[in-house]
Amino acid sequence: MNPSLLSTVPGHPPAQGRFFVFVQIAMILAIITGLELLIIFLPFPKPLLIGGLVLLSAVKFLFVIFFFMHLRWDKLLLTCVFFIGLVLGGGTLWALVSLFGATASVPLSSLP
Amino acid sequence: MSSPAATASLDHPLAPPTATGIPNKKILLWAFLASDCMFFGTLISTHLVYRLHPPPGNPVPTQIFNIELTSFSTFILLMSSLMMALAVNAIHRGNLRSMRSSLLVTILFGLIFLGCQVFEFNDFVFDKHVTITNSIFGSTFFTLTGTHGTHVAIGVLWLALMYIRSFKPAGASGGGWVGRAVVHLLVFAATAVLSLYSLYHLVHAVLAGGAAWATVTGFLTADLAPVLGALAGLGALRWLGRAHGPVDFDARNADDVESMGLYWHFVDIVWIVIFTAVYLLEYVFPAAH
Repeated sequence: MNPSLLSTVPGHPPAQGRFFVFVQIAMILAIITGLELLIIFLPFPKPLLIGGLVLLSAVKFLFVIFFFMHLRWDKLLLTCVFFIGLVLGGGTLWALVSLFGATASVPLSSLP
Repeated sequence: MSSPAATASLDHPLAPPTATGIPNKKILLWAFLASDCMFFGTLISTHLVYRLHPPPGNPVPTQIFNIELTSFSTFILLMSSLMMALAVNAIHRGNLRSMRSSLLVTILFGLIFLGCQVFEFNDFVFDKHVTITNSIFGSTFFTLTGTHGTHVAIGVLWLALMYIRSFKPAGASGGGWVGRAVVHLLVFAATAVLSLYSLYHLVHAVLAGGAAWATVTGFLTADLAPVLGALAGLGALRWLGRAHGPVDFDARNADDVESMGLYWHFVDIVWIVIFTAVYLLEYVFPAAH
């Protein structure tokens, strides 16, 4: 016996449609990676470049977790569990970078 | 992109019922991934903190990075994520052959990524003289990317074991199953080593001599044995992977493959963050010479 999840469950949609979704998303991710490589060499103001890089990375990140990792089609509990860790990790990162990026945190060895 | 297949909620009709409606192994894996987020968050923040005010004499990252190689490895890892998603999709449809093919390609792409990292680490240590102990940048960089590489290596091993598991015969013990599985794994390991060795020398040759036909022929002349060994290993893998009758692996194992997929995709999203924070940002804020 070689059951398919989808052929035995009434009303469950076939996964064939997701094949094309995944391929399209992979193409989008590849294009975004190329865009990231392009913008770092553009003569734009640094805040704009950083904002662009962060935005593009966030788009890639969200595409992978919601489509490839199936969060879009799973129960909300899994999204909450993952985002708890993500927010804690991201918050720690932001706090440390803010703390050590402050003027008072400049090491003596780095002063002119 | 919007279709009934894309919008319908995921279901687990073949898994034992749970209080949450989600298989326990799946929710626990998500909890592990959430904890791993915090783990990598600390490693990435450590690297960024020490990049804010680098001490004098610290290496200049834009002078040692090979952004073309890193971009290639990023692309490869993204494509491996696609193949993993297709493998999960295949087993949900009960298509074992397609799942095995997708797993093999995922393994191959994972090994290519690891090969690129090995090349990069060798280049940093032996050519650029940046080690884990001789600079702050080296310490944080190698700790972060080395930890990520270790995660990828564990993922590749897990993928290989999942691939082997998919050949377990149904019903009785299946004479020779364990021995055949061990041989399969050893042939896979040998093929992987020979392939990585060949790829490493090919990349080295191209970087040294340029992307020319003469470079490729020179490489094949110098490293013919490992290339032939890798090709022979691929043929052996194909022969070992032929059908031996009904197997004890079908859509009821989809949750296991999906859990594997979650880990692999997580490794990919961590690299997405590392690629931006560690590599690309250095070109936006070039360090002083």
